[in-house]
This record gives sequence, C-alpha cells and structure tokens, in this order.
Amino acid sequence: MELLFALGLIAIKIALLIAMLLLLPLPLTWLERKIAGHMQQRMGPMRVGWHGLLQPVADGIKLLTKEDHIPAEADRFLFKLAPILALAPPFVVFVAIPFGESISVLNAEITLYVSNLNVALLFVFAVIGLEVYGVIFGGWAANSKYAVLGSLRTCAQMISYEIPMGFAVVGVVMLAQSMSLVDIVRAQSDLWNIVYQPIGFFVFFVAGLAEAQRIPFDLAEAEGDLGAGFHTEYSGIRFALFMVSEYVVVLLVSVLSVILFFGGWNGALIPLPPLLWFALKVAFFIYVFMWFRFTLPRYRYDQLMAIGWKVLLPLSMANIIITGIAFT
Amino acid sequence: MSRIVDRAGTWIGWALFADLASAFTLTFGYMFSKPVTMQYPDKEKWLPYSRYRGHHFLKRDEEGEIKCVACELCARICPCDCIEVVPYEDENGKRHPAKFEIDTARCLFCGLCEDACPADAIALGQQYEFSSFSSRDLVIGRDDLLGKPGKAMTGGGVVTARLNTEQDVLVEASEPQGYNWWRNIRRT
Repeated sequence: MELLFALGLIAIKIALLIAMLLLLPLPLTWLERKIAGHMQQRMGPMRVGWHGLLQPVADGIKLLTKEDHIPAEADRFLFKLAPILALAPPFVVFVAIPFGESISVLNAEITLYVSNLNVALLFVFAVIGLEVYGVIFGGWAANSKYAVLGSLRTCAQMISYEIPMGFAVVGVVMLAQSMSLVDIVRAQSDLWNIVYQPIGFFVFFVAGLAEAQRIPFDLAEAEGDLGAGFHTEYSGIRFALFMVSEYVVVLLVSVLSVILFFGGWNGALIPLPPLLWFALKVAFFIYVFMWFRFTLPRYRYDQLMAIGWKVLLPLSMANIIITGIAFT
Repeated sequence: MSRIVDRAGTWIGWALFADLASAFTLTFGYMFSKPVTMQYPDKEKWLPYSRYRGHHFLKRDEEGEIKCVACELCARICPCDCIEVVPYEDENGKRHPAKFEIDTARCLFCGLCEDACPADAIALGQQYEFSSFSSRDLVIGRDDLLGKPGKAMTGGGVVTARLNTEQDVLVEASEPQGYNWWRNIRRT
C-alpha cells in the first residue's frame, strides 16, 4: 500500500512536471516577443487576446497544422529522430531538479522534487550533454549545407563550453561538500554562493548562454548567416519540438543558476513562500536571457572558441584553486 | 598625463565590462519608454497632410452644380490612361460629364489630372482606405467621386479611431484633432 502510494505520487509529480515543461514555452515565447518589441520601441503581439496573450496558442495551432515537410535527400529516420533526441534530455534533467524542500498536503509531507539523487549535479551535466546529439543529427540528416554548418558549429561549441561549465560548478560542490542539489541549496541557507563564487557564477552563466545557444553565442542557428542553422529544413510540429527544447534549456540554465549560486528557495530580506522565491529568481534569470538577446550582437566563430578555451577555462581552473585554498 | 588616465580608465572599464553595462542600461531604458507603434486598424489612425494625394474627388460649385466641364484634359494628360470622360450638354448649354470614370486600380496617384484641370474640378483627396477584393470595384464613377472626402484641412497627426467594417471608410476617426505622433520618438 505504501509502495503504491509512493509510486502514484511519483507518477503525479512527473505528469505535472511534463505538463509544466510543455506549456511553459507558450508564455515564454509571448514574453520574449513582448520584451523584444518594447526594447525596440514596438509593442510586440497585440491583436490575439488581451495584449496578444493568446498569440502563442495561435502560433501553436499554426505549427501543428502546417505541412510536415521532409526533404527528398534527407535521411528520413534520423530526421524524424532528431527533434525527439533534442527534446528528451532537457526533460529528463528536470527529474533531478528540486523546486523546494517540501509542502504538506492533507497531513502528508510531499517533497518538491521527483528524486533527490546524491549525484544530481553529475546527472544533470551528463544528461544535458546528450542534447547535442539531437542538434547534430538534425543538421546532418537534413542534407543541407546550412544545417550541416549549424551542426558543426554546435558540436565545437558544446564541447568547448561544457568543460568550463563543469569546472565552474566544482567550487560549489567543494563548498557544499555534496553533489546533491538539495544539499547544495541547504548549504546556502546563511549566505548565497554568489558571494563566495563570483567567478564561478560568471563562467557558469556565460557557458550557460552558449549551452542554451542564445545570443551572443547562438552560432548554431545564426539567422543572419545560416538561414536557421540546424533546423533550417524543419517545419511544423518537428520545428515546434526544437523550439520547446530551446526554451526548456533556457529554463534549465536559469534554474541551475538559481540553485547553484543564488540560494535556491532560500529567501532574503522579505519573507515569502520558498516556492515563490524560487520562481521569482528563475523569472529574473529568464528575463536576463531575453535582455541579453536583444542587446548584444553575435560573436564571431573564432571569438567564441577563443573565449571558451582561453578565457573561461583558465578562469574556472583558477576558481577551483582559489576555492580550494580559501575554504578547505 | 590625461592620456595615461584615459588608458587606465579604458582598461578598468574593459575589466569591469563598462561597455556591456552601458548597453544593458540603454536597452533597459528603452524597454520602459513609450512605443512608437501606431496601432492603425485597432485604435489609431493617421490623418494625412493637406498635400497628401489620396483618392480622387470631384468638386461642386456654389450652386451645387458639378464643376467639371468635360474638357477631357485630365484624360489626355493621365500617364496611365485611367480616366474616361464622356461629355453632354445640359439645357443651359453648359458642358458636363455624362460619364466620368477613374480606374483606381491603374491610377498611380501622380496628381497630373489635378494640375491639368482648367476648372479646378478634380483633385486628389485624403482618403487612403479603398482596397477591394475585386479590381472591378475600383472603377469609380462620377456620382461616387462627387461624394468622396476632400483635402485634409488639418493633418500630420494620429487620432483615436475604431475599426468599422460595415462602413465605406474602414477605420473611423472619432475625433477631428489628433496628437503629434513624433512626440514619442526619442531623440538623443
């Protein structure tokens, strides 16, 4: 009976998580277009619903009903597989992400995470690395030069940015003496990690921008020079899957920044419910992502590589050494 | 000395991402400035200047008689040959057009007909909303031309308006005087 109850609880949590992750891109696209509009003194979507709130729904219906085109020369199996491979890892990662300590519903303590892995951080980085396969397969299978160029860039970018990203969080692990994300947040209840790890956060966030393939590191889908990069040949629902995956990665990097460096659900100054604190911080980081997108230009490819290997990697190494000397 | 200070200043700025910070403050400021978008069909409408060349209209004189004397100079000067005039003589012996048709689908709104007219009878007015689903509807006859709105007296502003698909004019302006659209443009 108890086992059944636990299994049912996990099933409900996973269903809620998937529903949230699938539906969140809708308001995020709306928000992104609104922010883009207002930063350029435009209004953004205005005509569908109140201030264009239903615009993402209209776009979703449009994408679902559009022709699902597969190029004649494409590798059909890989072409169909790629969007799923790009979408699945960011979803799987959220299994290990805690959204809060626990809440009590009907006298039962319910934890706000699906599982508290003791190697959660390792799991997150291992699984998110798999996302690159979707992008590479997508570009390769389409058999188009723009798509292949996009995938090549993604390949190099992911490899050079995952290393500093991994090193940047080592400092956090050293401070918390644990790789469990729940323990890492608990360790920050007095003082957030950003105070001890400013360099670590800087490296992590810049690498996160590259990981999510957002401006200024969106070379994989550079609209200006590659058409749309790896998803040039995709249309309809498969394109929508790539877009959802992109937004989930943005959410993931924001959530990880909050958990690792900004105290997770620990509040400061104003007493608010922990879940609300968490949501507010994540919303701030998502806004920063969009703010960056509509402020900065795109880096050149060699600059991207130079930043990754010559700046971020030494910085993250130095961060580990400084943390090791100062705190252990 | 000042060059050294400048160089040190740029170095410190470079290290602290001063250029990035100024870019972010700029975009953040723009985010809370007023948009310059004119919400044309839904809420607002542009009032053209009086020199605007919109839809043609025919004028009447003080007695309410049509001014046109059907000399066909406008039809002759029209570069795209879109005006067709058929004259007749009324009981007082005056020449007037029995048929005056303008094919606005072919018209390029150059205003030469207005310049050529010896009787000051035809002019290009302020109306700019006359798109149609059929090019046949764009051939406008004499009586319709007499009813078209004339030159704009005020203009160069935005007025509140509402979409009205039943009317001939699709977007009705609800007030005569608008506000200056240029007030929202940020000049630095």
